[in-house]
Amino acid sequence: MTMVLRMTGVDAAYRQVPVLRGIDLSVDAGERLALIGPNGAGKSTLLRVAAGLLTPQRGEVELVGRSLAGLDRMAVARRLAVVPQEPSLPFAATVEEIVGLGRLPHEDPFRGARPADRAAIAAAIERVGVGHLLGRDARELSLGERQLVLIALAVAQAAPILVLDEPTVHLDLRHQVSTMELLVDLNERDGTTIVAVLHDLSLAVHFFPRIVLLDGGVVAGDGPPGTVLSPDRIREVFGVDPGFVRVAV
Amino acid sequence: MAVRSQPLAPPRPRVARVGATRRRPVLLAVATGMLLVGALVLGVAMGTVTIDPRDTLGILGHRLLGLDLPVTWTEQAEVIVMDLRLPRVLTTMLVGMALAVAGVTFQGLLRNPLADPYVLGTASGAALGAAIAVLIPVRSAILGFGLLNGLAFLGALAAVLVVYRLARLSGLAPLTGLLLTGYAVGSLLAAGLAMAMYVSGAGLRQIFGYLLGGFSNASWEHLLGAFPLVVVASVLILLRARTLNGLLLGEEAAAHLGIDVRRERRILLGLASLVTAAAVAISGLIGFVGLVVPHVVRLLVGPSARLVLPLSALGGAVLLAYADLAARLLGDIPVGVVTALLGAPFFIIVLRRSRAGYEL
Amino acid sequence: MPVPVCARVALIALLAVVLAACTGGTAGTTGPEPTASPSAASASVAPSVEPSPTAEFPVTLTDDEGTAVDIPATPQKIVSLTPAATEILFAIGAGDRVVAKVEDVANHPPQADALPVVATFEGVDTEQIVGLAADLVIAGGNFGTPPDAVAKLRSLGIPVLVVYATTVAAALADIELIGSSVGASDAAKDLTASMRAGFDQVATATGELPAPRVFYETGTLDLAVYGIADDSVYEELLTMAGAAPVTTGSATNWEMSTEILVTADPEIILLGDGAYGVTAEAVAARPGWDVLTAVKEGAIVPVDDIVVTRPGPRLVEGLHVLARAIHPDVVLPSLAPVVP
Repeated sequence: MTMVLRMTGVDAAYRQVPVLRGIDLSVDAGERLALIGPNGAGKSTLLRVAAGLLTPQRGEVELVGRSLAGLDRMAVARRLAVVPQEPSLPFAATVEEIVGLGRLPHEDPFRGARPADRAAIAAAIERVGVGHLLGRDARELSLGERQLVLIALAVAQAAPILVLDEPTVHLDLRHQVSTMELLVDLNERDGTTIVAVLHDLSLAVHFFPRIVLLDGGVVAGDGPPGTVLSPDRIREVFGVDPGFVRVAV
Repeated sequence: MAVRSQPLAPPRPRVARVGATRRRPVLLAVATGMLLVGALVLGVAMGTVTIDPRDTLGILGHRLLGLDLPVTWTEQAEVIVMDLRLPRVLTTMLVGMALAVAGVTFQGLLRNPLADPYVLGTASGAALGAAIAVLIPVRSAILGFGLLNGLAFLGALAAVLVVYRLARLSGLAPLTGLLLTGYAVGSLLAAGLAMAMYVSGAGLRQIFGYLLGGFSNASWEHLLGAFPLVVVASVLILLRARTLNGLLLGEEAAAHLGIDVRRERRILLGLASLVTAAAVAISGLIGFVGLVVPHVVRLLVGPSARLVLPLSALGGAVLLAYADLAARLLGDIPVGVVTALLGAPFFIIVLRRSRAGYEL
Repeated sequence: MPVPVCARVALIALLAVVLAACTGGTAGTTGPEPTASPSAASASVAPSVEPSPTAEFPVTLTDDEGTAVDIPATPQKIVSLTPAATEILFAIGAGDRVVAKVEDVANHPPQADALPVVATFEGVDTEQIVGLAADLVIAGGNFGTPPDAVAKLRSLGIPVLVVYATTVAAALADIELIGSSVGASDAAKDLTASMRAGFDQVATATGELPAPRVFYETGTLDLAVYGIADDSVYEELLTMAGAAPVTTGSATNWEMSTEILVTADPEIILLGDGAYGVTAEAVAARPGWDVLTAVKEGAIVPVDDIVVTRPGPRLVEGLHVLARAIHPDVVLPSLAPVVP
């Protein structure tokens, strides 16, 4: 099994405030894992470190076998795709143009999209199932549709790792579930490694064979949902009656 | 494992499809190119002194193409065509191009459809520089560039530099910081300008003339001085079109797509400011071109900077060339008035089209 | 969302327009008839003056901005960009060689009526000047003619002489300078000599008389009243006309505060802005002005500001206007006609 992401002893701070402490995390190719934890646990910070946006004060990060520190931004973008969280769009753009942004790390810097890029864009749109939205102004889509388009963008980016930061935050239940199903599909059929930050424990438990629980900047659990989310752990980390969370294993 | 839900049914399309007219960049380029040639011809043929069109053509052929033609025109006609009208028309095109390219860049960089080349204080800085030049009782010119041109250029650049530095010191998000600091510094400089105008006495007219902008002082020296700066900087911006595209969904999304946002922001800001400073140094403060042309072009060809930059350059050149033509015909009124008359209604249309929540 | 900066700058600029227009504005109505007796529009013909022999050219003159102006040959197509220069050119016999002029509200001399206007308050039509094949342009200093236009004309090889006078002596020097530039030095010197004689006559006639305190109003803007600054040409002219001028107390500020005015208590008020709608009744009705001697005695006289201050051949006439307004009973010799 090849390792696509490895963090060793990572300490990270945000504006001088320590957020992560001694993080050890290994993700193999083809894995599907959910990153959960209470607010302020450092989930988003961990993602930013993995994406190279935040330099850890201590520790090492490896991305697809290369040290993250030695990679330029384009190289990182070809290895790791992040589904944007609540982006704003100042100008009108079609769905194809948005998905096309995913090819930015691959396209010719001066001449833009090549036939291979155009094929990848079409394939991503098809794969995610937003073909019926072609030609539409991205600003006028529904929340569920937007989410799919953004996932299509990340798929077009053709990176081995796909990272999502709370992708279901504004979606209704039906769209939450269908998004999760899409992620499962991408993972099982295409072998894309998926790392998703989720706040919804039920979704995490249902759709992800591996849960990493973050609490107060340290890894408080890493493994199958049943192991990580024992009733005691739930009570201890989240401060709620474990009866609120149905863990079906 | 999990329960499969119902597949999503495709929703009914709610809004008309975007851009049936899009995807015609070549057509747009050809059309604006033809308009540009038209502006050149009209600009050289028209003026307060009537010159026979055949003479005009003869002068152009003789001086520009080296054709050996029988001289049927007066020496004065030749001076008027070659030293007054031709540099003027070409300058309007250069400045129009510069303002439009700067507008595209600032709008993309700041992710704000209401940004224009002056949003970070360049206008106020240039105006204050020009006012100070008028107040200084020194008459000097280097290579045809007077003190006013020089101080306007430096004032524009100095203003952006101050805004950039101050914005970085503020704790605000980069884009918000730039915009707000630009506003604050611009206001401060405008106050300085007001003071300079107050004490300027008889020089007020000249300061005011600079503020309105105009091409009556266009010269080959100004044109050849600004040309390399504008063209080189514009090409460098075009080579970074990828960055502007990446910024479409936000700075963080751009970083995830591989853009070194901090570095690119600095470079693009610098290039766009240089282009703007060169333009305002030779033509004063002409508004609306940098704001409106990028929007029109985006409406026609979409947001990709690879198309929007060159087509806006053409569009800006065309707009300003015809605006100056109209200004000359209407009794030499300030060209800024014409661009405002053309641009303001369009600005309102743009405002109405950009909805309050353009969140994705 | 920040207001576009260009809009704010334009707003300030708009305010400035209002300011500039009000202080430098021109009105369509003509000024009141000067009380001097001889008519200025005399039809008599002064001796015509031949241009001096071509040995005078080429010449390099230093204009009032210190620029060396090369004039290669006797100018045959002269463009005058100041109203005073137009008057001067016609007075020294070069009027037939003037091909274009600047807009002049006083429209003087009448012989210049037919000339095309190539410059107005809005700007200079360089194209037309070039089209007329001008070989000498007389421009106004202190931004009277936009410096950019001056530079442009010079860059096209047209000699431009910039004149600007702030004293009577400087005005006379300008007349002689213009005379040299067009090859009419002798006529110019004759003119200045006769003007000096005219000044002396006025000085003699008013010398014995007591000098009343005179406030010369140059303009108004809303409630602000503008008088004359210290060491200005107005002060000089009023003194020559036998008055004790009331000034603002500053060499740069022309606004007259009511306090200074009341303290100075002028005995006569001359309305230089009489042609722009300011009447004696309106002045008398101004708050706080009723304590002034001039108001109490009704000594508020409108005068033709243009003839008083235009630095040209009619300065003596202007001096007569002032002298008569200040000393109504003064006896002055009749004026020689100015324009040939």
